[in-house]
Amino acid sequence: MSAEPERRRRFDRLYASYGPDIVAYCSWRAGSPSDAQDAVADVFLTAWRRLDAVPEGAEARVWLYATARRVVANQRRSRRRRAALQDRLELEAPTVSLDADREHELVHEALRRLGQRDREVLLLSEWEGLSPAQIAAVLGCLTVTARGRLHRARRRFRTAFEQLVAHDQRRNDERRFRELPGPS
Amino acid sequence: MNAASESFRALRRANPRGAAGFAEAVESAGGAIAGRLAETPRPTRSRSRVLPAALVAAVAGTAAIVAFSTISSPGGGPGVVDAQAAVRKAATLTAASAERSGTAVVRITHDGRLWAGTTVRWNGKDLSVARDAPDRAGKAGSGLLVVAGLMYGRDPRTGGWVVLGPPESVDPDSGTTPDEYLAAAREDVGGATLLRLTGRIQGLTAVRDGGSTVYRGTIAAGQIARETGFKEGEAIRVLPFGYVAHDEAADPSSPLDVAITVGADDVVRKLAVTWGTWSYTVTYDGLGATPAPTAPADAKPLDRGPAGVWGAPPGRSAD
Repeated sequence: MSAEPERRRRFDRLYASYGPDIVAYCSWRAGSPSDAQDAVADVFLTAWRRLDAVPEGAEARVWLYATARRVVANQRRSRRRRAALQDRLELEAPTVSLDADREHELVHEALRRLGQRDREVLLLSEWEGLSPAQIAAVLGCLTVTARGRLHRARRRFRTAFEQLVAHDQRRNDERRFRELPGPS
Repeated sequence: MNAASESFRALRRANPRGAAGFAEAVESAGGAIAGRLAETPRPTRSRSRVLPAALVAAVAGTAAIVAFSTISSPGGGPGVVDAQAAVRKAATLTAASAERSGTAVVRITHDGRLWAGTTVRWNGKDLSVARDAPDRAGKAGSGLLVVAGLMYGRDPRTGGWVVLGPPESVDPDSGTTPDEYLAAAREDVGGATLLRLTGRIQGLTAVRDGGSTVYRGTIAAGQIARETGFKEGEAIRVLPFGYVAHDEAADPSSPLDVAITVGADDVVRKLAVTWGTWSYTVTYDGLGATPAPTAPADAKPLDRGPAGVWGAPPGRSAD
C-alpha cells in the first residue's frame, strides 16, 4: 500500500514548508540553542504522530506554532523542576543573534524589558508574521484579546527601544565629548 | 524619519531568520528529526477526526454497546470513571463526525425567555451563520454565509444578500473580523470545545432516557466560558459561539450544572449548561450529513456607502 510513503511525503512537505518558521520561533522562545533544537524535533515528532490531526494548508503553520508553544512551555516547566534558578527563564531574552550588532543588542534589550506575554505576542506578529486571529489561535485566546495585547506590546516595545536608543546616543555623545582634545 | 517605524524596522531586522547560521540550523534540525523519526515506532492511526461520516455511524453502534455496558448507577466509584470514558468517547466520535459537516443550534434563555440564538451550518469550508433571535436592533435572521471562498452578508438597509468578497479581505480595523469569526466558529462547531469540556465534568452521573443517555455533573464556569476579552471597558468571559457569560458564568470558579445528551448512535446530541436563571444549550444535528449552503442567487455586489454594510459579525460580538 502507498499510505506510509504518502504519509512520509506529507510530513516532508510540512517540514519543507514550515520547518524554518518553527526553527525561528523556537530559537527565540526556548532557553538555549540546544533546547531550541530539541523543541523543534519534539514539535515535528508530535506532528508525525498526529499527522492526521494536522490541518492542511496554511492552518498547519498555526497548528505547529501552537504545538511549539506547548513544547517550549513543557521544557520550561521541567527546567524549573530541576533548578529553581531556571525561574529566571521567564525574564530571559531571546537567545538569537549572539553576535548581533549594536542595533540588535538594543532590540534585544528592549525585548528583555517587556513582559514575557508582551514579548511573545509582539514577536509572533513581527517575526513570525502571524495575524491577530492566528496569534489568538496559538495563544488560545480571543482575537480581540490578542489584538489588544499586540497593541500594548507594540507601544511598550517602541517606548523601551526609543529610550534605549536615546540613552545610547547620550552615552556616545558623552564619550565623544570626553575624547575631545582639551584646551592646550 | 518616523521613530516608531524605525523602531519596528529595527525589530524586524533582528528577526532570527536573518542571523548567520540560520539556514544551517534549519538543516541541522531536519537531520535531528530524521534521526529521531527513524527510532520512533510507526504511529498507530488515531480514530478521532479521520473517520468518514458513514463509518462513524457503523463504529458508533459498537461503541454505544461498550459505553452502555460500562455505565453504572450514579454515586461514584468505578462507574464514574466508566461514565467519563463513555462521554469522552462520545465527544470523540462527535468531533470526528463533525469534521466534515453539521448543524449546531445555540440557544441562550434568561428567565425562561429566549435571550440569544444562532444556527451554524457547515460543510467543509462552507459555512452559514444565522441569528435566530432578535438582537438589540430588533432584527432576526441576519446572517453570514461563506460559499466557495466568497462571503455574503445581509444588507441592513434592504435585508438582501450582498457579496462581501473573500473572508480575509474584510477587515473593519477593530473588533473581530469576519474571517476571524469564521475561524472561531469552526473551532466551536468542530468538536474541539466539546472534547475539552467532557474531560472536566465533576460528579458525573449517567441516566438513560429512552434511547439516549444523559450525563450530568458540574463544571467550573471557566471551562465553559474559557475565552476572555473586553467589552465596553469591562473584562468579560465568552461562551462558545461568542456569547458573553453573565452572572455566575462570568466567575471562572463557579460550578455550573452541565448535561450532555448522547444518542443511541453514541454521538452527542445536546450540551446544556444552566446557572441561576440562565440556560445555554447547543444542539448538534446532521453531523456528517448537512448539505453545503448555496450561494444566494440574488446577491448584489457590495456597495460600501457612507457607513458600509458590514456591522459586527453575528454572535461573536453580540450580547
